[in-house]
Amino acid sequence: MNTVTSTKLPNYSLAIDTSAGTTVALLSLGSVVAEVNYLEPMTHSERIGSAIQTVLKQGQVSPRDIYQVVVGRGPGPFTGLRVGLAAAKFFAIGANAELVGVCSLDAIAYSYYLANPDESLPLLVTTDARRKEVFWALYAGIIEGVPIRVEGPSVNKPEYLTEYLSGQKHVLCDLPITASALGQVAYYQALTDIGPSKDSSPIYLREPDAVPGKAKKVSG
Amino acid sequence: MTYLIREATAIDLEPIMAIEVECFVNDAWSKENMQSELAAPHTYYLVAVFEDFVVGYAGSSQLDGATQADIQTIAVKPNQRGSGIGRALMVALTKEAKRRGAKEIFLEVRADNTVAQKLYKIFGFKQIGLRKQYYKPDGVDAFVMKTSLLPEVVAEPLVLGIETSCDETGIGIVRGNTLLANVISSSMELHARFGGVVPEVAARAHLEALLPVLEQALAEANVTLDDLDAIAVTNGPGLAGALMVGVGAAKALAVATGKPIYAVNHLVGHVGADILDQGSLTVPTIALLVSGGHTSLLLVKDLLNDVQLLGETIDDAAGEAFDKVARVLGLPYPGGPEIDRAALGGNPAAIRFPRGLTLPKDMDEHRYDFSFSGLKTAVARHVELAESKGEEFVVADVAASFREAVVDVLVNKAIAACLDHKIHRLLLGGGVIANSRLREVAIAKCADNGIELRIPPLSLCTDNGAMIAILGSQLVQAGYAPSTLDFSADSTLSVTTIQS
Repeated sequence: MNTVTSTKLPNYSLAIDTSAGTTVALLSLGSVVAEVNYLEPMTHSERIGSAIQTVLKQGQVSPRDIYQVVVGRGPGPFTGLRVGLAAAKFFAIGANAELVGVCSLDAIAYSYYLANPDESLPLLVTTDARRKEVFWALYAGIIEGVPIRVEGPSVNKPEYLTEYLSGQKHVLCDLPITASALGQVAYYQALTDIGPSKDSSPIYLREPDAVPGKAKKVSG
Repeated sequence: MTYLIREATAIDLEPIMAIEVECFVNDAWSKENMQSELAAPHTYYLVAVFEDFVVGYAGSSQLDGATQADIQTIAVKPNQRGSGIGRALMVALTKEAKRRGAKEIFLEVRADNTVAQKLYKIFGFKQIGLRKQYYKPDGVDAFVMKTSLLPEVVAEPLVLGIETSCDETGIGIVRGNTLLANVISSSMELHARFGGVVPEVAARAHLEALLPVLEQALAEANVTLDDLDAIAVTNGPGLAGALMVGVGAAKALAVATGKPIYAVNHLVGHVGADILDQGSLTVPTIALLVSGGHTSLLLVKDLLNDVQLLGETIDDAAGEAFDKVARVLGLPYPGGPEIDRAALGGNPAAIRFPRGLTLPKDMDEHRYDFSFSGLKTAVARHVELAESKGEEFVVADVAASFREAVVDVLVNKAIAACLDHKIHRLLLGGGVIANSRLREVAIAKCADNGIELRIPPLSLCTDNGAMIAILGSQLVQAGYAPSTLDFSADSTLSVTTIQS
C-alpha cells in the first residue's frame, strides 16, 4: 500500500476524474484554485498529463505541495475511467501524497445541491453507461457538504429505473461531473468523523464481456 | 539504408545547391550565400551521404563562446525522406551545439511546413514567436522556435520503464545499459478459462498490479523515484485499453516527479532488450519478434533512427495459433508450452500441415509476411476428420507436426530476410521464443547459413518493463528530447515510430 508519512500542510489537493471526459482540479482547503475540463469521452490518455500540469501551473503549486489526491472511482466507461485511476495512483506516489477515492456520482449530486440548496425531494443522479443503460444513484440530501447516498451506484436500463421509482417523487439530475466538485466532496468528508475513503478501486458494476472459449468446428 | 553523416566541405556545394533548389524553390539561397555559409568560421554544416551521394544537409551557427545556437537550414532530398536522415542530422547538430556550450537553440520555420515543425517538436522545440511574411516572395509567415538543452547528457541515466501493452504489467529500471530491476506481474492465469487474452481482463489487472509492481521494482533496484533521470512508457502497439493504463500512470508520475518522459515503441523495445544481455546491440540486424500478439520481421539498422518492418502476420500471431490449436487438442492455455509438452516423442513429419505464404505466388507479394490461420484450420480439420471416422489420432504427432509447420515458416522467412539483405545477424524476441523447437531449428539453420544468432534470456524476451527502460535510456544517452505530454496510446503504432 501507499503509506504516507508526510508532514505537509493539508492545504492543496488535486482532484482527477475520467469517468466521463477528463476533468482535473487543484483545490486549496476546499476552494477551487484551477480546473481543466475536457468533455470529449475518448481522449483521456492524451489529456491527463497536460491537464494535471496545467492546473499546477495555473495555481503556481509544485507537485510536492499536494498533500492529497482525490480520484473519481466511477462508475463510468471502463477504459477511460482507468486512465484517471492509474494517473491518480502514480501521481500520489510520485508526489508523496495520500490517495482517496470518491464515487463520481457523489460529485454530481454535490454540484446539484450547490445550485439547489433547498431541494427536498430525493435526487436521482444518472450518467450514460452505454448499451442503453444508465449508471445511477439516489440521494436523500446533503449534510455538511457530503451528499447522502441512499441507493446505488448501480447500472440498469432506464425503463427499469422508471418502474422502480414509480410512485416515488424525485428530481432527476444529469449534470456533468467536475473534478472541483469531486475535490470538494472529499474536503467535506474529511471534516466528518468517518473521513474520505482510502479505497481508490474502480466501481465497474459490470463483469468483463468474455465467454470461456472452446474450439469452434471448422468442417462439416 | 545506411547513410553517413559528416562535416560538409566546399566540394559539397554543388550537390547541396541541387537539393536546396529542389526543396526550397522560391526561398532557395543563392549559391554565393551557401558558399559563404559553408566557409564561415562560426557555422557548422553537415551532409548526409548515401552511396556516395549527398542526400541531405543541415547547418547551424553559433558565435564563439555563445550559449545560443541557431539552426540555419536543414533539408533532405524528397525521395530519401522518412528514413530518419532529418532526425540524425538534428541529433548531430544538437550534439555539436552542446559541445560548443549552447544552452538554447533557435530556428525559424515556414508556418506552412508542418513536416519540419513535427521534426523540431521531437527535439523539444516550441514556438516562441511569429515573423509576419518572413519568407519572400511567397509572403509566408515564419514561426520562431526554441529548445532548451538539458545541461548535460547524462552518461549513465537511471531510467524507469513501464510496459502494459498486453497481459504483462512490467516495470523495469536500468542505469545506463545495466539492468537493475525487472518486475513482471502477469494476468495470464485470469485469461486461461477464456483460452486467450481478454483485453478488459488484462486492463483491469494492469490497474491493480501497477503500484505493487512499481514498489517492488524500486526496492529491487534500491533507488527512489527522486533518483530517476527519466521515465519511459510503451505507447504502442498493443491492446488500446491496456496501453492507456500505463500511459496514464506514466504521465502522472512524470508530472509529479518533474522527470522527462519518453513514449517508446513496444516492438523496438523487444529489439533493445538485447543490450541488457550483451551491453550493446550490434547493427544492422534482422529481428524476428514472435509472441501472442505479434509476429514481425524487422530490419534494424539503427535502434533509435532506422527500424523497418519487413513483414508481419496477416492474420493470427504465432502465439495465438498455438493457443487455438491447443484448444482444438483439448489442451489448456497458454498453448505454447502445452503443445511443446504434447509434442514430446511425436513425429514432426507425420502430417504435412500447410506452410502459410510460402508458395511461389505468395512469396512475390508476401515474402516476409506470415499467416497461421489456415494452418490452425488444417489442424482442426485433421482432428475432426479423425473423430468423425471414429479413428484415434496421435496427439503427439499432431502437436509435433503443427509446431514444425510454425517453426519452419518462422525460421525460413527470417533466414531469407538475412540472406536477402546480406545481414548475417538474427535477433529473436517475444514470448514464443520460449518454444524449444523454435530455438533448436533457429540455432541449426543459422549455423548452416553462417548467421550469428542472438537469443536474449527469456525474462527479457517476454513482455517486460526493462526493455522499455533500456530503449528510453538509449534515447536519453543519445540526447533525444523527451516526448511532449500529449502523446497518445496507439494500438497500431508503426514500428518506424520509435519514439512518439
